[in-house]
Amino acid sequence: METNLDSLRQEQPCIHARNLVLGYENDRQINTVAADVSFDLYRGELTCMMGPNGVGKSTLLKAILNQNPPIKGTILMGKKEIGLLDDQERAKTIAVVLTEKIRSGLMTVRELVALGRTPHTGWLGHLSKTDNEIVERVLKVTHLDLISGKKLAELSDGQRQKAMIARALAQDSGILILDEPTAHLDLTNRFEIMHLLKKLAKEAHKAILVVTHDLEVAMETADQLWIMSHQEPLVSGSPEDLMLEGQIQKLLPGNKWEIDADNGKIMLKTPSVLPEITGPKHVRHWVRNALRKNMDLPLPEKISTTDNPLEIIVYKAQKSITFSSISTMIRFFKKESF
Amino acid sequence: MTHRVKFICCLVLLVFLWLLNLSLGSIAIPFVSLLERLGGASFPRESWEIIVMDYRIPKSLTAILAGIGLSISGLQMQTFFRNPLAGPFVLGISSGAGLGVAILSMAGTAFGWQILSGTPNYWAAIVASSAGAIGVLVLMGLAAWKVKDSMTLLIVGLMFGSAASSVVTLLSYFSAAEELKMFTLWSMGNLGNTGWNELGILSGAIFIGLSLVLFSIKSYNAMLLGEAYAKSMGINFERLRWIMIVSTGILTGGITAFCGPIAFIGIAVPHLARLLFKTNDHRILFPATALLGILVLLACDTIAQLPGFATSLPINAVTTAFGAPLIIWLIMKRNFSEAF
Repeated sequence: METNLDSLRQEQPCIHARNLVLGYENDRQINTVAADVSFDLYRGELTCMMGPNGVGKSTLLKAILNQNPPIKGTILMGKKEIGLLDDQERAKTIAVVLTEKIRSGLMTVRELVALGRTPHTGWLGHLSKTDNEIVERVLKVTHLDLISGKKLAELSDGQRQKAMIARALAQDSGILILDEPTAHLDLTNRFEIMHLLKKLAKEAHKAILVVTHDLEVAMETADQLWIMSHQEPLVSGSPEDLMLEGQIQKLLPGNKWEIDADNGKIMLKTPSVLPEITGPKHVRHWVRNALRKNMDLPLPEKISTTDNPLEIIVYKAQKSITFSSISTMIRFFKKESF
Repeated sequence: MTHRVKFICCLVLLVFLWLLNLSLGSIAIPFVSLLERLGGASFPRESWEIIVMDYRIPKSLTAILAGIGLSISGLQMQTFFRNPLAGPFVLGISSGAGLGVAILSMAGTAFGWQILSGTPNYWAAIVASSAGAIGVLVLMGLAAWKVKDSMTLLIVGLMFGSAASSVVTLLSYFSAAEELKMFTLWSMGNLGNTGWNELGILSGAIFIGLSLVLFSIKSYNAMLLGEAYAKSMGINFERLRWIMIVSTGILTGGITAFCGPIAFIGIAVPHLARLLFKTNDHRILFPATALLGILVLLACDTIAQLPGFATSLPINAVTTAFGAPLIIWLIMKRNFSEAF
């Protein structure tokens, strides 16, 4: 029996849209960027949006933020249309982290985070006791409390990005939208930030939407994946389902690249078959990895491997040759190809 | 040093500079006499009473008002456009005012009419420069209505300025030497032409301009993160844009009408405030900029009228002589654009 996913959900989506047409209107000329965009964003979930450049991801974000309303269709937040909310109300519901770089280097981390309270403060922006408590809590959650007095000019890229996320958190909104929050960050920071977002979605019960180009991180952390591709409707589902359905292939137009269904990695499509490889699993994996990069070389029919000590035995034309490292094996093939 | 200590230092310096400004000039009046006069006693010489009450005090008050208005306008522009080189005149206000005065003083010969030949009329100059400034502001308003992008607005402002300047150049080319000199003198700036009556009008304009700023401090702080973030935090960007145009228009338009285009204060002082107060928070930055604006313009005016000179130097020569090195020094500082 097939169970409908939507009927299993406890609650209503916090943002809901059907068949939007997105684009820009200038001087009576309509420039459509994406059509047939439907989605539901749920609280308590980390949703990743992926798609090639120019497919309309930023236009969709701007539509949700009401900075560039859709050409056709409406976006509902709960029961209300987003375009009808006033600025203050919208700011209390949606917070964003954008890609643009902030200058204001004299601002301290705490001042930046406190700016997130803007929609909640009075005309002069004075922080109340509650506001200050929220700022302190957010600094603690994002582990920025030790550097809260530092000026933005003194921060590393990773710390700066975390501070921007903290500012958005201080806005205390149910929905958090982040545009490529992990671009330009190192591996550790990438995972750290995504896991922080995941934790926030679960523990603070927020709806978090992240635009990312990082498939690996998305597969690792996302509850929901939205895929946008040229001339096609937005596809959504769990990353695992989308992988098995082959939808993720849509991220790679053309037929040069493919996604490895075993581990979700992007690889050059291999036209011919790789040699049969036997031995321990991880050694097999890395030998295959090396062979994939050298498909132009004359490869053998069979390779067997052992672990501890590492031995790679290549069977070629009734002969067997033993190598002690992958690089010597590849060098051997290269020599043979001359 | 905390901000409070810095503000107190500035205030003490302000009182000292003000007294110095009143005491120095072609006739030096001792501090003691000034303080005694303040206490109720009269000056030992009757002429001093006229010099101080009718000339030096109005001039120093003009310097104070212009210092506040220009530097606050500059800070608004720099934050709104997120551009460290923006100043109060980027929307073309001074060029518009200049065009008004140029038409008043020079168009007579160029077109063969007689507008106000003979004695330069002070009030006519004020009306002409106000009309020019308002004209440019109306054009900028129309542009702002049509154009939503702030960088485009900045460029349109610069273009209006260039267009106005080219008309001024043409007028200068065809005008008589005497008229040209009158216009040139106006463009050098002058704090000393405002009497008590004019001061009343000027302070009214400054008061209106500053009240608008007071109600948008929070919005300017949000603008530190740029337009998109400010909007996402619920700031009404359109309203802020109109406040910025109207407020700087009233402040710089008013000052330019009475004192001519006073250079550099508007660009340099906000940077000085960031440098000394080491903050981007406009709740500190607006009062700090206003105070430093007063200090710098009072100091420049004091230098312009140092004893030993028969007449006082043109104020723009002094502000630029001090403003330009300051700007160069700031730009050469390594983390200048990061700190902005």
